[in-house]
Amino acid sequence: MDFDFSPEEQKFAEEVDAWLVENRDPVVMDHHRENFTQLSDTPERRAFMKKLAAKGWLGMSWPKEFGGQEIEGVYEYILNEALSKHAAPQIGKGVGIIGKTLIRHGNDFLKQKFLPLILDAEIEFAVGYSEPEAGSDAANMQLRADKVEGGWLLNGQKMWTTSAHFADWYWVGARTDQDKPKHDGLSLFLIDMDNPNLEVQSLPTIGKDTTNQVFFDDVFVPDEYLVGQQGKGFQMISEALDLERFTMFTLSPIANRSEVLVDWVKEAKRDDEPLKDDTNVRRTIAHIMTDTAVAKALSTRFVCAAKSGGKPPTIESSQYKLFTTSLSQRVCKDALDIQGHEGTIMEGQDDAPLRGRFEGAYRATMNETVGGGSSEIQKNIIARRHLGLPKNF
Amino acid sequence: MDLELAEEQQMVIDMAKAMLEEHCPTQLVRDMEDDAHGVPAELWSQMSDLGLNGLLIPEEYGGGGLGLLEGAFVYEELGRAMAPVPHFVSCVLSAKVLLAAGSDAQKEAWLGKIADGSAILTPAWLEPERGQGEKGIALEAKSEGATFKLTGRKRSVPYASAADQLVVLARTDAGVDLFLVDPNASGVTMKQLLSQGREPQYQIDFDGVAVSAENRIGEAGTGWATWNAAMHEGIILLAAQAIGGADRCLVETVDYANQRIQFDKPLGAFQALAHYMADASTRIDGGRVLVHEAAWNADQGRTIARFAPMAKLFCCEAYRETTRVCAQIWGGVAFTIEYDQQMFFRRAKALQLSWWDTPYLEELIASDVLD
Ligand SMILES: Cc1cc2nc3c(=O)[nH]c(=O)nc-3n(C[C@H](O)[C@H](O)[C@H](O)COP(=O)(O)OP(=O)(O)OC[C@H]3O[C@@H](n4cnc5c(N)ncnc54)[C@H](O)[C@@H]3O)c2cc1C
Ligand SMILES: Cc1cc2nc3c(=O)[nH]c(=O)nc-3n(C[C@H](O)[C@H](O)[C@H](O)COP(=O)(O)OP(=O)(O)OC[C@H]3O[C@@H](n4cnc5c(N)ncnc54)[C@H](O)[C@@H]3O)c2cc1C
Repeated sequence: MDFDFSPEEQKFAEEVDAWLVENRDPVVMDHHRENFTQLSDTPERRAFMKKLAAKGWLGMSWPKEFGGQEIEGVYEYILNEALSKHAAPQIGKGVGIIGKTLIRHGNDFLKQKFLPLILDAEIEFAVGYSEPEAGSDAANMQLRADKVEGGWLLNGQKMWTTSAHFADWYWVGARTDQDKPKHDGLSLFLIDMDNPNLEVQSLPTIGKDTTNQVFFDDVFVPDEYLVGQQGKGFQMISEALDLERFTMFTLSPIANRSEVLVDWVKEAKRDDEPLKDDTNVRRTIAHIMTDTAVAKALSTRFVCAAKSGGKPPTIESSQYKLFTTSLSQRVCKDALDIQGHEGTIMEGQDDAPLRGRFEGAYRATMNETVGGGSSEIQKNIIARRHLGLPKNF
Repeated sequence: MDLELAEEQQMVIDMAKAMLEEHCPTQLVRDMEDDAHGVPAELWSQMSDLGLNGLLIPEEYGGGGLGLLEGAFVYEELGRAMAPVPHFVSCVLSAKVLLAAGSDAQKEAWLGKIADGSAILTPAWLEPERGQGEKGIALEAKSEGATFKLTGRKRSVPYASAADQLVVLARTDAGVDLFLVDPNASGVTMKQLLSQGREPQYQIDFDGVAVSAENRIGEAGTGWATWNAAMHEGIILLAAQAIGGADRCLVETVDYANQRIQFDKPLGAFQALAHYMADASTRIDGGRVLVHEAAWNADQGRTIARFAPMAKLFCCEAYRETTRVCAQIWGGVAFTIEYDQQMFFRRAKALQLSWWDTPYLEELIASDVLD
């Protein structure tokens, strides 16, 4: 058993850290904001991603024949954690989800077209699984894909497509077989977001970023843009969701948040008394830091399980997501409780404690226990696949 | 990073597990509840024979010389079995105190016997209506030439009636000191206390008990520091014990939930119950890694000022919460003495409040984080 990174891993972590200090860009790396730079698009962010690409840090775990380095996923984990620690954008869905799925299942045309673009940070994707009637029940997608000469015609609607307003390509699940059981009738497509028959409508959220709904009106997709086997879409999505939990829910933003709160409590006063001497505050901090240590332990377990190869770390990733996303929300809630009424002054205002960082986080982290598979779905996975309870739910 | 167990570590676990399955059935645990002596002879000698009692004691004193990480593996099994043994008080706390501060003569006299189980030592620490910190030690040890006279009352001294020596925390002119005291010395009287965890516990009165200065452990005034260090290591093992208990409680509950039919379904098919179990399993698995991380850090010689209290705080809460939801899942039978659930339920709370309770641990963590 060894809780330290290996010397090579440690060396890499230090290299990344030093590089991020040197390449600090205040527009894309803003510590006063929560770490959601991923979700908004700016020329600075694209330039930053190009720099990461130039370092060879995108797709490190990919096979060499597709431009990767064939090194263990733990390096991507180290990179991602460092990026989020520095409030920089993360390596993203192209590398973590779409690239990996294309490598495993895509045809030669798609691999040749997209993999180099992903590695060069030339391309932004949006992921379209969710629909009004297909949230947690992702297999219930109703977006229709009908076979026509040379391709498919897509009609229907997607919900919650983050990044659709700036993405170049759309990774979409659609129903290609209407009469098969729902899990077997889905296929995956790549769609050019410039397609004139796609209509993107912004859907503002309580957080700082917008998401979108997207309408399909006879959107034509050529045959070669079908990903993998027809009818195997759901299986590929499930696999990709395991990868998503790994790449999207990094620990650093949560651990950082706990530390930011601690640093603030150490300095804050109320009625001229140090806030940190308040017994309730001390107790709250003790629990936040303890639970943060447990979250870190679960992430170590998850990374080690992924490293040891064999089966995908489904249980480990579900437990990790379940525990950490609820902790993430609890830290914001507790922070506001400690800050009291002043804590509700909106983010960005100079008069707010910590310029309202926890006010903003309190709103923004609300979706963590829902997106990417809700807490209840994680519990179902743990109950069935880990504990062996009956498949009744 | 690597959480795989080494082959020898897996062997320690398998050995402890197999031995406890054979020699520590639930019936034994039940039989030992409130027993005045409290040490099941056969189980205790099995533990000695397998080297478990000397696990953490260096080889030069006849022990196994292993680290806290191996200790944590064994404690998870002891917790799973609810093993009613004085291992923690004797082979962990007393042994650690002697190792850290004992004179050569004291080490020679006791460590070998602790390791082979032929002697049991137990700390006399808590006092009635006093807290768990240094301030809580009021029992007076008055210096009179080459002897100290001990006067005062200790409570909740586990396994005192079976002990060969008491390790008494007392207040001297120099501060807090530790003394080895013969429980049969004149002026010592004991009364059994019944408690929720049902391990043998005693209230002990010291009425001017004479103790030679040679029996002080360590330099004058260093007793609390020695005790505090031993406790930090010890509570990591108790956290492991909590995880073992919680894990078994959950495993047995999952089993029951798969068998018991209500409304034409197994209980486990009701999502309300399944989600309790999923949460419990997440807490158990997270707590277990935290324990290993704490123990590993201690073995690496790194500070555990924060990790150790975090491990005990989290794992004991996880144990308590697991036994609560599991009792809920068993329904009415959990409330009966006939079923084992109540045994876990009582032990979880007792463990949580023993050897530094929740507020004390919270304050240790808070002061490390904030002050
Ligand atoms: C800000 C934001 C961004 C998003 N970005 C994307 C994106 O880019 N692409 C994309 O495809 N999707 C995206 N999503 C969608 C997200 O994946 C879904 O919101 C999520 O899967 C839940 O679906 P739903 O909102 O329809 O809730 P529902 O599925 O309707 O669930 C509502 C409630 O019922 C519970 N529930 C549902 N099924 C069960 C069950 N079997 N057992 C117990 N409880 C259950 C849920 O846990 C939840 O509490 C995003 C969502 C948000 C909020
Ligand atoms: C001290 C005591 C005194 C009692 N006295 C009496 C008495 O005088 N007369 C009498 O008739 N009874 C009495 N009872 C019985 C009591 O009513 C039952 O214990 C209670 O109805 C639960 O039944 P059960 O214990 O068989 O648990 P079960 O029905 O087996 O339930 C086990 C668990 O499964 C859950 N569960 C069951 N069905 C569902 C479902 N559909 N959805 C979700 N969860 C479910 C339950 O909530 C519980 O958590 C007594 C019980 C106790 C403990």
